[in-house]
Formats: sequence, structure tokens, C-alpha cells
Amino acid sequence: MAKKQLYWKGEEELFRTKEFLASQKNEFNEPLPLDEVFSENNMGLSANRRDFLKFFGFSVAAVSLAACNTAPVRNVVPYLVKPDEITPGNANYYNSTCGACSTACGITIKTREGRPIKVDGNANSPVSGGGLCSTGQASILGLYDTERLDGPVKVEGGSMAKVEWADLDADVVNRLNAVQTGGGKIAIVTGTIHSPSSLAVINDFKTKYTNANHITYDAVSYSGILTANRDSFGKQVIPSYNFDKANVVVSFGADFLGTWISPVEFTKAWSNRRKVDGISKEGKVLKTVIFESNLSLTGTNADYRFPMKSSQEAVYMTSLYNAIAKMAGQPEIQIALSGELAGGAIQQTAQMLWKEKGASMVISGSNNPKIQMVVNGINMMLGNYGTTIDLDNNSNQFKGIDSDMAAFANDLKSGAYQAVIFWNANPVYSHPESATIAEGLKKAKLSVSFAGIADETAVLCNYIAPDNHYLESWNDAEPKAGVYQLSQPTISPVFKTRQAQESILTWLGQAFKTSDPFANKGIYNQKLSASVYYLYIKSKWAAMGIASDDAFNKCLHDGVYTVAAKPTMVPAMAVALNSIVSDLTASVGKKDEIDLVLYQNVSVKDGSLSNNPWIQETPDPMSKVTWDNYVSLPKALAEKEGIKNGDLVNVTYNKVSLKGMPVFVQPGQSNGTIGIAVGYGRKGKVGEKGEIESIGKNAYPFMQYQSGSYVNVVNGVKITKIDGSYELAQTQTHHSIEGRDIVRETTLGEIKDNPKAGNDKKAPHLYTLWETKEYKKEGAPNHHWAMAIDLNSCTGCSACVVSCSIENNVPVVGRAEVRRRREMHWMRIDRYFTFENRNRVDYKNELFLSRDFEDMNVTKEKGLEALDKLEAEGKDKSYVYWENVKVVHQPMMCQHCGQAPCETVCPVLATTHSTEGLNQMTYNRCIGTKYCANNCPYKVRRFNWFRYNDNDRFDFHFNNDLGKMVINPDVTVRTRGVMEKCSMCVQSIQAGKTKAKREKRKLNDGEVKTACQRACPAGAIVFGDVNDPNSEVHKLFKNERSYRVLEELNTQTAVKYMVKVRDIEKVKA
Amino acid sequence: MIHDSVIRPQLVTGDKTLHDVTTEICRPIENKPTTSWTVGFILSVIFLGLLLLSLGVTLAYGIGTWGLNKSVQWGWDITNFVFWVGIGHAGTLISAILLLFRQKWRMSINRSAEAMTIFAVMCAAIFPLFHMGRIWVGGYWVFPLPNAFGSLWVNFHSPLLWDVFAISTYFSVSLVFWYLGLIPDIATVRDRAKTAGRKFWYNFFSMGWTGSVRTWNRYEVVSLVLAGISTPLVLSVHTIVSMDFATSVVPGWHTTIFPPYFVAGAIFSGFGMVLTLLVIARKVMNYQDFITIGHLEAMCKVVMLTGTMVGLAYITEFFVAAYSGVEYEQYAFINRATGPYWWAYWSMMTCNLIAPQVFWFKWARTTPWFIFMLSIVVNVGMWFERFVIIVTSLHREYLPAGWVMYSPTLTEIGIFLGTFGLFFTCFFLFSKFLPVINMAEVKGILKNRE
Repeated sequence: MAKKQLYWKGEEELFRTKEFLASQKNEFNEPLPLDEVFSENNMGLSANRRDFLKFFGFSVAAVSLAACNTAPVRNVVPYLVKPDEITPGNANYYNSTCGACSTACGITIKTREGRPIKVDGNANSPVSGGGLCSTGQASILGLYDTERLDGPVKVEGGSMAKVEWADLDADVVNRLNAVQTGGGKIAIVTGTIHSPSSLAVINDFKTKYTNANHITYDAVSYSGILTANRDSFGKQVIPSYNFDKANVVVSFGADFLGTWISPVEFTKAWSNRRKVDGISKEGKVLKTVIFESNLSLTGTNADYRFPMKSSQEAVYMTSLYNAIAKMAGQPEIQIALSGELAGGAIQQTAQMLWKEKGASMVISGSNNPKIQMVVNGINMMLGNYGTTIDLDNNSNQFKGIDSDMAAFANDLKSGAYQAVIFWNANPVYSHPESATIAEGLKKAKLSVSFAGIADETAVLCNYIAPDNHYLESWNDAEPKAGVYQLSQPTISPVFKTRQAQESILTWLGQAFKTSDPFANKGIYNQKLSASVYYLYIKSKWAAMGIASDDAFNKCLHDGVYTVAAKPTMVPAMAVALNSIVSDLTASVGKKDEIDLVLYQNVSVKDGSLSNNPWIQETPDPMSKVTWDNYVSLPKALAEKEGIKNGDLVNVTYNKVSLKGMPVFVQPGQSNGTIGIAVGYGRKGKVGEKGEIESIGKNAYPFMQYQSGSYVNVVNGVKITKIDGSYELAQTQTHHSIEGRDIVRETTLGEIKDNPKAGNDKKAPHLYTLWETKEYKKEGAPNHHWAMAIDLNSCTGCSACVVSCSIENNVPVVGRAEVRRRREMHWMRIDRYFTFENRNRVDYKNELFLSRDFEDMNVTKEKGLEALDKLEAEGKDKSYVYWENVKVVHQPMMCQHCGQAPCETVCPVLATTHSTEGLNQMTYNRCIGTKYCANNCPYKVRRFNWFRYNDNDRFDFHFNNDLGKMVINPDVTVRTRGVMEKCSMCVQSIQAGKTKAKREKRKLNDGEVKTACQRACPAGAIVFGDVNDPNSEVHKLFKNERSYRVLEELNTQTAVKYMVKVRDIEKVKA
Repeated sequence: MIHDSVIRPQLVTGDKTLHDVTTEICRPIENKPTTSWTVGFILSVIFLGLLLLSLGVTLAYGIGTWGLNKSVQWGWDITNFVFWVGIGHAGTLISAILLLFRQKWRMSINRSAEAMTIFAVMCAAIFPLFHMGRIWVGGYWVFPLPNAFGSLWVNFHSPLLWDVFAISTYFSVSLVFWYLGLIPDIATVRDRAKTAGRKFWYNFFSMGWTGSVRTWNRYEVVSLVLAGISTPLVLSVHTIVSMDFATSVVPGWHTTIFPPYFVAGAIFSGFGMVLTLLVIARKVMNYQDFITIGHLEAMCKVVMLTGTMVGLAYITEFFVAAYSGVEYEQYAFINRATGPYWWAYWSMMTCNLIAPQVFWFKWARTTPWFIFMLSIVVNVGMWFERFVIIVTSLHREYLPAGWVMYSPTLTEIGIFLGTFGLFFTCFFLFSKFLPVINMAEVKGILKNRE
């Protein structure tokens, strides 16, 4: 046997050295030159052949990989000198005042890297109470609006030319002086101003220009209340309405939860008085009764809603007055009119009010001062002044007197006013006499507008001196007597704009430069200079007693400074109501003619911010229509005229007409009335873009001048169907709940007897294939995020919807996409109508003869009589149902199911469960099969059908650099083709956890708030850790009223709803 | 040795000799295309162009170019997917199950049925691929591939993943089975080829087939093995497709009878499509002697049987919904029959349950033009079945607030019509370049094969 030949590679192997043996254990027995490969120094020619091949192979692979993606070059410019308070990645918060409308809610502004990205309510503010409406939420986008003017503009012959501020100032001052010396009058037309400093600026102006007048103009005014109070009590104010002190509120068309005066404040107070947990047998909630034509937000939340024809309001109001007067033993109004609503509603309401003397409230949305005087009379008899209604600590939020404005319009036309300054006022759009004003403006020697956007009025002026956005401005406010708030800039002016107050001060030659405390105090001699107006405010506040910097800064920090409330007095009525009988009679319209009732959309309001896409895409809480106004039609009228949803009609009254309005048949619209929202149909010009596309149509011209005010009720309009059709963009198209157990409700009486009332359905048997997850077990040490939503508090105002969209960079998709049912809102408010009783007899019992009313001796016969009368008129009784719908609002977002149907079906695990109970989306992993959305029983998942950012087909704010500044840097902007949904603001959770960890403590309950929770004026949404036995959400989860939607699917949602409680009596079965 | 009964009707008529079979079946391959072939082919290519255009639009702009919305997130896409997969069922059934049951009549139709299967599955695959929002990553993330993304893995709980496996397995096995059966015939064409190009390519694809006893033996064994593998696939593919729906919580989808019901439906639609194709093909290509009335009649019987089974399933669904006491289920079915998409439901019922009952009559089973009409009805009905299941269930689910309507856009319609373009383009090419009838097997069942 031949000896096997031995080969060896080197002497190490031959002699089997220790190093050799060790190296044999490695896969590569020579060390790989990885370090060399990866360090640049050795990339030279020192490589041998093998290494060259390695480099070569690596390079080819790397180059081809790198070539797969062309990364755009983006430059990041670091701070040369970092401001002390800004740490990139950390948010700063500043308290300020909302400038979206003159209600002036206190807000907290969140800024990141020096740009404001979110506004929320400031809990210190008695006006906002920590909540904020949808309009206020959305107003932040106005700062980053490409339609804003980027500097002063001279308008000549319809074209706009940029000018320098100095040139504008010189010319304006010259012309003002010329007008002054020539004896012409000067008008400053403003929206309501309650800022003490701004009013002082105007006073300064009036001191210098002695023939200047300040005219306050509100597009939707409360002139009726103001003048009624002036005439009744000698106080031209809007009183404070203390909903918290009332047990009954009766509203005639005043949508106090949606748009009336100060809805955020009222919603807060109202919802506080609707709490039922632990209520005693004698306990009372704020019983809410409303008489109205259009279905308003308040109407959907009222315990009793009585449809009425608004042109008959004077009839019902005097009937109510007389009914109460009878009980009070006071003289009745001697008036030939008297009326009663079906079922004796007026009588019953009178008795309800009388039972709660001194703790009741009657309000009216009418702008007719005479009707408001009757309201005053009723409240006087009920002894509500000094308790629920406070004239001494009044509201300053609206001050406009319509007759002043009407006089101005005439004087302008006649040439008496030779110079006009418009400040936060756009009468050419919103005033019914806009043509008169537009014509008058041509005669004026000087007209200046402070509008930030070239609005309808501004384009007719000589100059536009654009005001700063409120987030760029210093200001103060006194929304209610004794409540002072400050506004502070949270960003340097984005454009070359100048605050209006500063413009006026400049024209007055007042400059505080010499006493500028910031001059030359910047680091490295960087020149900082304070705003002229800031110094002006400080001097005014010093006069108020806030002299020191510390005191001022404290107010600035808190955002609010309050002085002690004045003692409230019970006023005396100075007017005999019998003297206004003829005016009242004149205000009553014909019964058989159609009433047009103009109203404000909850988000669009008076239309001053109507170019804001967030506002337009927020669905109307009742009709769920976005991006348009429409004629809201009752079913009976629609069928009579043969009109259906999507038809077009012309609405005509005398010379005013709106052509081609789309129709929406609105359940709840009173028979014989139609409704149209104001605030639409804006026109304007924007730089090169030309005309702004008009959204909807302008209904302001329908406003009627009545007893010195413009009222929103027009009796005798004609509607004619025309050819064509128009699809309204609705986010919800099916309105009935189909008898499903999705929302639960009960009555106050029942819940007093049984706290589980309405929620005592037998629990379903639940089976599961899966093991109970570790985090869900009793005493698990982790967080389990959960949310409780109180249907009893939620009014459906939709502030949460907007807040959520802003916080989470939810794209706006526009009208066309909403029509395709593709809105991206992570949170929506489901609104369901019910006809509680389809059976005729039941219906009568329910509406007319509830136990409450039975006690008050209202006969069954009266109810039957009313219904029979309707039937005798040939109307199907179903019309009555359509007029009398009940409404439930249910906020709906991802339920974060413990056993989520979406999670099991995703083929790539893009949606998974966190150990903290969150159902999380991994956008990067999502391939867009959409299976999860199909399998979601709650239908809350939203798919990115298109690329919504940087796409000019979606020309909202995601396609331009300015609009993108509002993007929340903590939240990914999703790309095309991925699914998205509510994350329970996981970025806020993470921020809260990080903060707690850094401070070495446990996260406190309530420290992390979701965007919807922060926005909610009603406090209906509570978020927290359900594993923490002391947390509020834990307690709410144990509450007898709490239930899960679709519990029988055993999805084990992390969201629970609380049963809605109506303060009505249920009919005995 | 095959013992044929003298009284059994012949499977191939016309008293063909072995040579006749070869020449007749090879005729379309070896001659210039006929006018009808050319016209049909051009038409198909135009529709194929429409497919490419529509898919291009989808890729360029996004799934938003379809009519889907927040509640109905599967519409025509998945309807068409299930439709095509269902059509793709008959081929394997004919080739595998009928082979195992020694049904010799299958021999003249199995080739085209298998080809149809492959093309139908190709058409079907377009929809799940392109319905993905991000096909550029989804196209490979759905496979359990090792990756550099950390511990990322696919979700084995997801029926969509099962789909990926089921469809890809079915497609590959069907393709292999089809190709295997083609090898002897390709060799025949090779041997008859006159030009160098034809010689080369047919030689290449015949894989050196010599026709020796050993190759025939292997051929038979592998056929049997593949038939064994394919048989469970016939049942599994549509079972798993049905699980996309059955395992969900959507009322109208969440139904345990879906697997057998879908399989029956698939066979029904598959035979419907085979009939549509063969009634035309036998006429156009003059194959009446190979694909006889007897074949058509046998297939009509299958159509009638499976159609009735499907109809039974429809009725069972209603019963179960009523019996379950679940209001959502009950509503889903009432909504199908009486809701806004009632026309789709009643089209389905008419086409699938009622129409095939005419096959109880012999005349109906043996009249080609009538069979053709009815096969179209079956195809339409089965398309509506998938539409009814998918869209009417999704458009009104649990929360009435999310109830919407759905209608397709031109892009979606274009894709659907385009898949017919792809299907027929493939089929025309197949009939031009490959023998449509399995010559080797047909020769085995000739009466006068001596």
C-alpha cells in the first residue's frame, strides 16, 4: 500500500504551528481586509489581485444598489446662533388668543423649530375652557396660506401692484390729512374689536383725525340682542349666559352649541351640566328645548326639538310670554297674534320654565330687536337676570350694530365718507347692501384695507396694507368683561406684512423706537427690535395695573388675566312691551309661504376663513356635506315640488336670487322652511393665480333689514326646480341606523332608577382562538392605552375631526374625492337619524304626551288634534317623522381592537399589535392590499389612493413649501398606496413616556392627551392607561354606562362609549 | 392492450387513421394563418394594448384611478381575480382528475383546457398584483424571502399569503403538467418540420424526445404522478381563494360553506369557459371529429351539476343567515337580494342556477350554438357571483355610517377587458404554434389504430 503523498502549503502547515491551528478554525484563515476595504486610506493601489476582485465585486454591487435610488440633495441649514428656547425636536408651547373670530378663545400654540404647527384650547381661559372649535383649529393654516399677500399693494384700475411700506404710508397720511382738512369724514370699519389696546389705537386715531368714526361691522351680527338690551335696560351689551346655573334652556333658533356667540364656552358649560354619573333622584341636568326651522347642532342635541316656521317666531314668543305672564300674574302683551305648535309645545314649555324660575333661560337666535325684547321680558318674569343671565359681566365678543353699518353704506354712497379703512371687515362680500358699498368706495378719496388676502372689499380699495396673521401678532383681548387675554407672535412675519395696529400707529406718527427695550440687546449685537404695538400694549397694561415686566410676563405665560367679577344686578325693564306690538306683528310672515332661514355652518361660520381647506373638508355635522352650501329642504316640500337630492333649484326673493343651488333633503328641516348657509361663494384675486374658485354661493344678500337689524329669516321665497344636477360631496350617505345596537341611549328617569339603563343588554358569549395577550392580563405592568367617549357629552361639533387631521398630517382630498367617498379623516362623527316610533299612536305618545307633559295637564286630545290636522291637509304622516328626527352623534376612529380583524389578514405584518394595546400601522411595510380595511368592522382605515403630497392635482397645502410648514414633524407623511388610520396619537404617547422616563417617574394619568381629546370643548373624550387602576379611563371603563361597539365580534376594543342620556320621559310600554 | 367495446360510441369520429390525426392536428401549425385567426389575433392584441394602457394609468397615478372607496376597497379587481382563477379550474380538473378516473373522452380536450388554465391564471394574477398600493415592493414582500430588514417575515395567518402559495403552486404544477403532455407532440411537429428555424425550436422544446418505450414509460409515470399532485390542487386553490372571504368578519363573507361552494363554482365556470372556447375552436379549426358532440354533452352535464350545486349553496347561505340570528348576516343577504345591487344578485341567480337547468334536455346539450350561448351566460353569471359576494357585502357592513355605493371607472373596465385581450392573445398564439389536441393520446383511442 503506497504511502499517501503529503502536500503542504507552507511551513506553518507542515509543522502545524499553534497560530496555524488557531487560524484553521476560522472560515477564512487569513484575516479579511475588511477594515482596509472600508477605510478610504487603503483604497489605493496597494491591493493585490484578490483584494482587487473583492473591491471590484463590492463596487459593482454597491454602485448598482446605489443607482436604484436617486436621493434628492437637500440642504439643512443649522442655526448659526441657536435661540435659547429652541431645541430641534422639542416643541414649545405659548399661550395666546385665537384670532379666527371675535369670540377670542384662549389658545395654546405648539411650535416646532420656530414654526407654529397646532393650536389647542388654553384651559386657563374662561372662554375656551381648554377646548377649541373646528374653525379655530383650522385657522392655523391661514398663516401658511399661499393666497396671502406678501406685502403692501396698491390697487389701480382693478390691477394690483406691489408698493413699499414707506410709499404707502406717505400716500395714506397725505390723503388722510387732505380729507381731514377738506372736512370729509373718515370711517374705520372693523369687525368687533374688544382688544383694549386696539381700541386705544383707534381712539388715538380719532383724536388726531377728529372727524373719524369707528363703525363695528359683524357679518353675522348680534345687533338684535345689543339694541334690545339697550332699549330694555339701557345697556348695549350681550350678556353672559350662565348655562351652568340653569336647569332649563329654551332656545328659539339659537344654535348655542354650534355657532351662536361663544359656542366653545357654551358647549363646555352645557356638557358640564349634562353629567349623569352618580346623579341623585332629585338631580337635574340642563334640560334643553329648542324651537327651530333648520336642524342645528343644538337641535340635534336638544331633549325636545320642536320644528317651527321661523317667520312665526314672534307669534310663538309672545304666546310663550303670555303663557308665563298668566302664571306670574303679570299683564299679557295685547297682541292679536297667538299661536301654538303641535301638541301644545308652547304651553308645556311655559310650564317647564315656570317650574325652574330663576334657573332657566330663554334665548333667541333672531336678530330682530323686538323679538329679543320679548325674550328679555320672559327672562325678567322668570327672574333669570342676575342668575343665569348676567348683564354686568357681559360679553364683548360681538358689538356690531347693523343700523350703523347701514347708515355708513348710505353715507359712503352719498360721498360723506371720503376715507375708509377696512380692518377685519369684508362688507362687499357679506353685507346685503354690498353693491351700495362697492359703488360708494369708488367715490372715496382714500380706501385702505388691512386684509391679509385680497378679499372682495380689499380689491376695491386704493391700498391693501396686509395685516399680520394672528399667530404673527401681538395683541390683547377682552372677550368678556374682566377677562383679559394676550396674543403673542409665535413666528416672525412670514411675509412683508405689518400688523394693522402698527400701521395706524405709524400713520399717526407714533413710534416707540427710542424706548425700545430690546434694541441692541441681541447676542453678538444682533439687532432685535420689539414691535411698536407690543410696547403700546405694555404701556396700556401698565395703566391697567400690570406694570412690572414680571407681572406682564406672568399674564403672557398664562395667556389670561382676570379681574374680579362685578356684582350682578337685576335690571329693570324700561320698555312696555305693548309698545312694540306693531313691530312684532310686522315681523310675522305669511304662514303658507316658504321661509328661508339663513344659518352658519359649524366650521365655515361667517365665511371669513372659507378659503381654508380644512374648514371646507370638515363635514357639516347634520348633513355631512363638505365643500358646498346647498338648499336644505324638508321632505314634504321636496315631494310636493318633485325635487330630490342632487337637483338644482333657483331660490328667489324679490330681486335677490340664487341660481342653480344644489338641494339636500334634510331630515329635521321644518315643513314650510328651507335653509341656506351663509359664508360661501367667496370671490377674490390671488396674485398670478387669478380668481379664487368660488365654493358654494353667497346667501348674504337675502338678509332682511327689520327693526334696525339684518335678520336671517326671509318669508315668501320662491323655489323653482331647474334642469341639471349636482352631486354634493357627502362623507356619510346612509342616515338611518337600521335599528342596530351601535349607539345606546336612555332617559334621565331610567338612569336614576338603574345606572345600567339602556346598557343592560345581555352580554354576548365570546369565544376566541387566541391566548389572552400578556399585556391584557390582570395586573400587567405595562400601559394599556384606551379611550372612553361619552355620547352624552359629545355634541358632534367636529372640532376633534379637524384637530386630528392637523396633528396627524391627514391630507385634504377635495370635493371630487369626497364624492368618491375617499375622505382621509382618521376620525369621523357618525350621525344617525332615528324615527323612534313609526307607529302612529306611539308617535303621538312620544312627542306630545310624554309623562312630563302629562303632569302638566296637556291633553292627549290636543296632540291628536294637531296630527289629524296635518293629515287632513293631505300630508302623509311620515312628513311629521321627517320633521321630527332624533339624532345621535358618535365619534368613530380606530378602536384599537385587542383582537383586531385587520391584524390577522395583512400578508406582510404591516399592521400589528403593540404591547401597550395599540394597533399600529407600519407605513414602510404596507404594500396596500387593502384587506385590513375590508375586514375592519368599524371602517376606519383610510387608503392613500393617490400621492396627496407634492401633487398639484391636490392643490391644498401639501403641494407647496409654505403650506407644508404646518406639517407635524413627529408624524410621517404617508406615501401613495399605503393604509393609514388613527394611531391614538402615538407620537404624543411616546413624547410623554420619554419625558417621564427622563424625569425618572411614572407617567401621570392625563399627561398624554390625544389631539381629539385636546380639542373637545365638551370633554367627551378621555384617554389614558386602563391598566392604571387610578386613571380616569379605568374608572370610565368600569362605569355602568360604558359599552363597546360591536362587542359580539369579540374585537375587544380599546375604545368604549358611554350611553347617551336624554332628559325626556319614556313612554310606558 | 386496450379492449374497446364494440357498442361504445367512438370518441373520435370520422374514421381517422393515425396519419389523419397527425396531419389534421398539425395543419394550423404548418400552414399560413387563416383570415379568421388573423382577425381574432389582431383584435386580441388591441385588447392587450388596452390592458397595458390601463395598468400604466394605474401605476402612474395610483389605485385612485379605480372606483374603490373607503368602504369598498375591493371591487372589480378581486371580482376579476376570482373570476379568472375559477376559469382556470377546468384544465387541471380535466387533465388530472379525469385522468385518474380514466375518462378517455378527456383526451381531445385536455390540452386546450390546460392551456386555458394557464392563461386564465396569468390573467388572474394581474389583479392581486396590481390591486396592491405599492406593487413595487409588494411584488416580492409577499414571499417569505430572507431579507435585510431585520426580523421581518410574512404573516402566515393571512389568507392572502395562503393565496400566494396556492396560486403560485397551482400555476407551476399546471404549467409543468401541460408542458409534459406537449413533449411528444412537439417532437412530432419537429419531425415534420421543414425549415431550420422550426427544426431548431421544436427540437429544443421537445427535449430530445425519441419516442422509445423507455421515454413513453417515463412519460406515463410522470403524468400519473403529476395528476396525483394536481388533484388536491384543484380543490385547494379555490378553497384557499374562498378563505380570503371566509376567514374575515365581513357579513356575507364569513361563511363556512365557502370552500366547497367556491370549488363547485370554479368547476362550473371553468367548464363554461372550456365550452365557450371549444365550440368555437372545433368549428374554426375543423376539429369536429376530435371534439365531438359527445364531448360537449359530457361537459354540459358537468355544468348542470355544478351549477345546481352552486345554486344550492346560494340558498343554503340564506338559510344559514336566517338561522344564525345574527342581524348583520341577515341584513347582508336581504340586501343582496333586495338592496341597490339587486340586479347583480338576480343576474347571478338566473345565470347560474336557473339557466343551466335547460341541460336536462338532450337537445340543449347537443346543439353547439345553444351550448355556446349558455356557456356565455354561465361566464356572466359567475362573474356576477363574485361581484355580488365582494361588493354587496362590503358596501353595507356593520356601521351604517360607512355604507356607500361603488361603481367601476374606465380604468378598471379597461383592465378587465384587457385581460381578455391577454387571454385570447395567448390562446391564439398557442393554437398557432402548438398542437391544440393531444395527438399522442388521441391516437391511443382511435378505433382503427392498426
